[in-house]
Amino acid sequence: MGLFDMMNISASALSAERQRAEVTSANLANAETTHTDSGGPYVRQQVVFSESSGSPFHTVFNGVGGGAPAGSVQLTNVVNDTTPPVMRYEPGNPDADKSGYVAYPAINPVSEMVDLMGAVRAYQLNASAVGAAKQMIQESIDILKTS
Amino acid sequence: MANIPMLDQLQGYLSLTTQRQQMVVQNMANVDTPGYHTKDLDFQKAMQQVMDEGTSTMEPAALQVEGLPERPDGNNVNIDRESLMLSQTQLQYQMGVQLVKSQFHTMLTAIKES
Repeated sequence: MGLFDMMNISASALSAERQRAEVTSANLANAETTHTDSGGPYVRQQVVFSESSGSPFHTVFNGVGGGAPAGSVQLTNVVNDTTPPVMRYEPGNPDADKSGYVAYPAINPVSEMVDLMGAVRAYQLNASAVGAAKQMIQESIDILKTS
Repeated sequence: MANIPMLDQLQGYLSLTTQRQQMVVQNMANVDTPGYHTKDLDFQKAMQQVMDEGTSTMEPAALQVEGLPERPDGNNVNIDRESLMLSQTQLQYQMGVQLVKSQFHTMLTAIKES
């Protein structure tokens, strides 16, 4: 079912890009968070996308079961950024260490904004692909209409 | 529809455009996947097969598009190319559907005018 597979592939991309936008928003929101449940400052997170190629068996099985078709994109992992935190001298801060330094997450709001914009643009691109698939399905249905 | 070869060929054409569109959509979906390479199918060759053997039963093989600049993450999807291909393939599909409709319309006319 080619036309509906197209929609499923686009849907997988929409979901992946939305999750990317969510993670990026979380990074932006916590750019100044110095205190977390696990201790220490907030750690910047990044998403990892991969193509679900699917073995021939999977391809066939998904065709029957209605899972994600081969070629769709999936978010395989959300990894923590290993960049060390930025130390700022703020002796009055309750999260300051003995020498008066506070660990702030190493987040650059500008690069996060650029990443967010990239996610939004990719989302729009895939939304337009869904529109194209929808129109093609509608056209095939219109064959049935007697003119 | 074995007695109308035109419809068989149109069916093959529509199936090919659908498969091509699916590859375009795949490329769009993987626009941010590291290491992904743009895929396409050899439309001319597959269409020739449809014309020679009627409806194409074999899935045309996906091939990687050459000559696209690769980004540092190993991905070479070009959004402009994919947008263009999306519209182009959509119009090709529309044309195929219109031709199918006109075939049936011709048949209907033949039935009605008798």
